[in-house]
Formats: sequence, C-alpha cells, structure tokens
Amino acid sequence: MGAKAIAEAAVSSGLEAYFGYPITPSSEIMENISVLYGERKYPWFKVFLQSASEIESVNMLFGAGAAGYVSMTATSGPGLSLMAEGISYAYASEAPFLIIDVNRGGPGLGNVAPEQSDISFVLNSLGHGGVKPIVLTPHTVQESMEHVHKGFELAFTYRTPVILLTDALIVHMYDTVEWEPPYIVKPKVDWAARGRNYGQRHIINSIYLDPPELKANKERLLQKQKEIDKIAESECFMCDENLDVLYIAIGISARISKEAVLRLRENGVKAGLFRPITLSPLDKDNLLKYSSRAEKIVSVEMNEGQLAQEIMRITRRDVDVLPYLGGYIPDVEEVAEAWK
Amino acid sequence: MEVKQFSSIYENGVTTYCPGCEHGLLLKFIGMALDELGITEKAIMVGSVGCSTLAYKFLNVDYVQAPHGRAPAIMSAIKLLEKDKVVFSIQGDGDALSIGIAELIHAANRGIPITVFMYNNMVFGMTGGQMAPTTPEGMKTTTTPFGRDIKQMGPPLDVCKVLSAFPQISYLKRVVITPKPIYTKDRIMYSSKEAMDSYKAVLNALKTQLMGGFSFVEFIGTCNVNWKMTILDSKKYVHDVGVKVYPPGLCRDAFGVDKK
Repeated sequence: MGAKAIAEAAVSSGLEAYFGYPITPSSEIMENISVLYGERKYPWFKVFLQSASEIESVNMLFGAGAAGYVSMTATSGPGLSLMAEGISYAYASEAPFLIIDVNRGGPGLGNVAPEQSDISFVLNSLGHGGVKPIVLTPHTVQESMEHVHKGFELAFTYRTPVILLTDALIVHMYDTVEWEPPYIVKPKVDWAARGRNYGQRHIINSIYLDPPELKANKERLLQKQKEIDKIAESECFMCDENLDVLYIAIGISARISKEAVLRLRENGVKAGLFRPITLSPLDKDNLLKYSSRAEKIVSVEMNEGQLAQEIMRITRRDVDVLPYLGGYIPDVEEVAEAWK
Repeated sequence: MEVKQFSSIYENGVTTYCPGCEHGLLLKFIGMALDELGITEKAIMVGSVGCSTLAYKFLNVDYVQAPHGRAPAIMSAIKLLEKDKVVFSIQGDGDALSIGIAELIHAANRGIPITVFMYNNMVFGMTGGQMAPTTPEGMKTTTTPFGRDIKQMGPPLDVCKVLSAFPQISYLKRVVITPKPIYTKDRIMYSSKEAMDSYKAVLNALKTQLMGGFSFVEFIGTCNVNWKMTILDSKKYVHDVGVKVYPPGLCRDAFGVDKK
C-alpha cells in the first residue's frame, strides 16, 4: 500500500522524528511509521509522538528542524490549514521538514475521497507573508517513496519546508515497487540550535523589527528561491513531435491521463502529457517548450481548475479544464474524448 | 564597583523594557541561574510572542523563535531529540494562557523535562494593554474600558490550579517578582525578598529539569505603562490586589528541590 511504502521509505531514508495527528485519509502513514519505531534496524529513528493537534505537530516539526533533525508528518487538507502558521514561521526562519499532504475532498470538512484541491493553497503562499515551500507531486507508489527521500534531502539542502502533495488514491493504492531507499545525504547542520558551541550562538529566528533588516532577509530568501528554481523537474510523456493535444496533470490524474494518451495514439491522434514532478518550482522552460508545440491544452484535475490557472498564467494561452469534483476520479474514456 | 559579567548575558546587555517593568529582572535571574548551574553552553531558549520575544537580545544562549503560544510544542520536540540539553521558554500570560494553553497543557501532561517561565502582568503588554485571561475583575484595559466583567468573560485564569491537575508536572510554583514598596519616615524603599524568592524559583525550576521533570514558574509582575499607573502605584497594586487574585505559593515539588 502507498502509505506503507511511504512509511518504509521515510524511515530507511533517515527519519529521525515523526510527529503526527490522525486525519483520514493520511492516518495509515502514521500507523505504519509507528510500527517501525523502535526497530533495531533504524537506530536513527529517535522520536515518534502523537501530537494533540496539527498546530502542535507543525511546531514540533519546526522544533526538530531548528535543532537540525530529519522530521516529517502526514496530514490532509484540514490539517494543512492549521499548519499554515507554523509553515510560515519555519519558512522564514529556515527550518527544514517534510509534510505529506494526502489531499481529500474540500473545502471545509468535505469528504475523505481523493481530490487535488489543495494545489492553489500550497502554491499561492502556504501561510501569511508570502511563503513558497518546495512542492513535490508523485504519481505512483514508487515515486512517492522516491519523493520522500528527495524531500528530506531538498529540505536540508535548501533549509526549507517541503510539501509532498499526494492524494487519497495513491496513498491507498497497491502497486509494484522496485526500489530500496538508501540513507539520505544530509548536509552539515552547524546552524542548528543544539546549544552554544564554544560560545557560538545559533539563532533560528523570523523576527526582524527594523524594515531594512526584514527587507534584507526577504531578499535573501528570494535569492535562495532562484537556486531552488533550478531543481524544477517534469516529465513529458509522448511529447516528441507536434501535438494535437497536450494534457497537463499531476498525481493520479497524470497516471490515468497517460492511459488516455496511449489510447489516442492508437487512434492516430498525436497526444502527449506534461506532468510536473515538482509543482513548486514548476518547470517553466519545458512547459513553454511543449505547450508551444500543441494545438490544444487540456488540464485534467480533481478540482475546479487550480492547476490550469497556473498553466494559463505561465503559457498565456487558453487551457481547457476537465474537472473532477467531490471525490470522482478521472475516467480514461472521458479524458481521451476531451481532446476534441 | 566591579560589575560581574555573566557568560549567559550579553556584554552591556541593557534591556529595553519600560522603566518599572520586572521583565529584565527575570531575564537576569535566568542568566544568573544558567551560569550558577553551569548549563549556559547547553541551554536552548524558545522565545514566545510578546514582550518576552526581546529576550534573545539579552540572553546569550541558543534561540528558536516560536509562533504565538506554541513554545511548549517546539521545546518538547527539541528536548526529545536533545535529551542532555536544557530547554526553557519565557512566555507571557497572554501567550501561554490565551492562545497557547493547549500546547502548554499537553506538554505539561506529557511531563517532558522542559521549563516554562511565565511572566504574568495581567494584560497583553506588547500589543498595547488589552485584556488577557489573567486580567483581574474590574481592571480597565483597552478592550475592557469599563473594567473586566466576569459574568461575561469569566474570572481571571489561575494557571497553577489548572496545571495542578496534571500528575506528571514535577515543579509548579507561583512567585511575586515585583518588589514590595516599604514606607519609612522620609522615603520609600523596596523589599529584596521578592527578588530572592524569584531567583530561587528560577534555579529550582532548572534543577528540576536537570533531574528529569517538567517545571513551570509563574512570576507575578507589573505593566505600569499599560495599567496606566505610576511605577510606585503598579508595585502597590501587585501587593494589594495582585497577590489576592494570585496568591504566591508552591503547588508541586516532586523532587523536593525547594526544601533544600
């Protein structure tokens, strides 16, 4: 199951602390991790704690990140809303951690069926003051494992919160996996607040009372963002020539759209699929390259068109939206029909 | 006179708190206690939001700035990962008891060996003197211009009573940090007993953490600026009214550190 794979990938990759609050459909990740806690195979796994709320979870992640430890949690939309405060603080004070957002139906309590309706929330400032975490979007179970591993490394390389945006379907799906996650390459954490070292203080802080100081810090973070932009990654499936239609999708929608692309190809329609692997930063170069080859762009997503908005902003072209709302999953036939 | 320099306090670390506020005194006691116990190098301070935020400018220890009220959650994580370190926070009554009471209660209930120093001045100080959960009945604040009405807002929140319910707390104490005015024939003097008591409480709270227990100390202090009082009147208020609402005392001392 996706949740089990994520749990094993996290712990084998070097997870040192897990803090979580149960929420459907993410709870299986926490349950699977709790089983691995205390196993002799993983001496680095120091802390597993069920928090009293997502607010507590995110602040515990912040504390662990500030002390330079690899930590993560799994949650869903309502929990992520509560975490936005802590993510903003961690982003500003550069504390690394990984949050897995198992997207469920929203807004409000919504339902526990899969949706992809947190896209706008994570992309357009996840927290007050302008927050841009790294966002990864796997579309298979194995890729979820790889993204957990990669998420830890990116969080520590760039000292920033990383969001792994997935959905209830991938996390509950049984799939073939051929990958054993190695221990991560963790950079030195000489900045971490673990006590003064020969009188040298470590300050993990987000308060800059003087405008010039805050301005300088924001500019520094924007400069760092330019470095982060270089890790943008995407996949273009069957995109080698001029296209009649370019589908755009992430996560489970992308996996289903691939099937639709293959069917269209059988019928002689030149179809392709552009799939962002990192949703933030988005691979703009490749998106522009492949979208310019296509007659038509169709965004397949399990929401009202949040990804399409982002694509339209970048490509400055009309994008057709094939929306699936309320927990419905894209249908291969319908996706294939949408090219017309 | 030679001034002693503490390794835990910045050189020439003059606080910028308002004249008459005891917040700076509390920071000095914490610094002195860290040095006395020889734990400055392994101390990690978690800052809160409010006047206590400024503590990182004066205490020369590692520092993590928490969101409003969330310090106990951050401290819990750091302490669980860094078991041999000393982790403490300085929080206000608004931070710890209004927005952050959930985080405080759950950290306390788990009994994680951390220390919370709470400065209770009965109002929101940094934001300009609004009502706090601790504001005494009838006290005028900027959001209770006619005085706190306890029928609507409930009585002032007594954190020592709340935390007494949790068995895993090892040290729970309330002290008055405001020096008591003493009137003599020709002048006013201030008692030093409160300072001695407060320092002892800081020391014992940290000792309790070193012995593996959760410790919490509430310091009853003033905020003359937001109370719209003179410094003298604010100190009188604490000793005339404050101690009646918040009687000082030792609520829990599991390791018996106070007796020694």
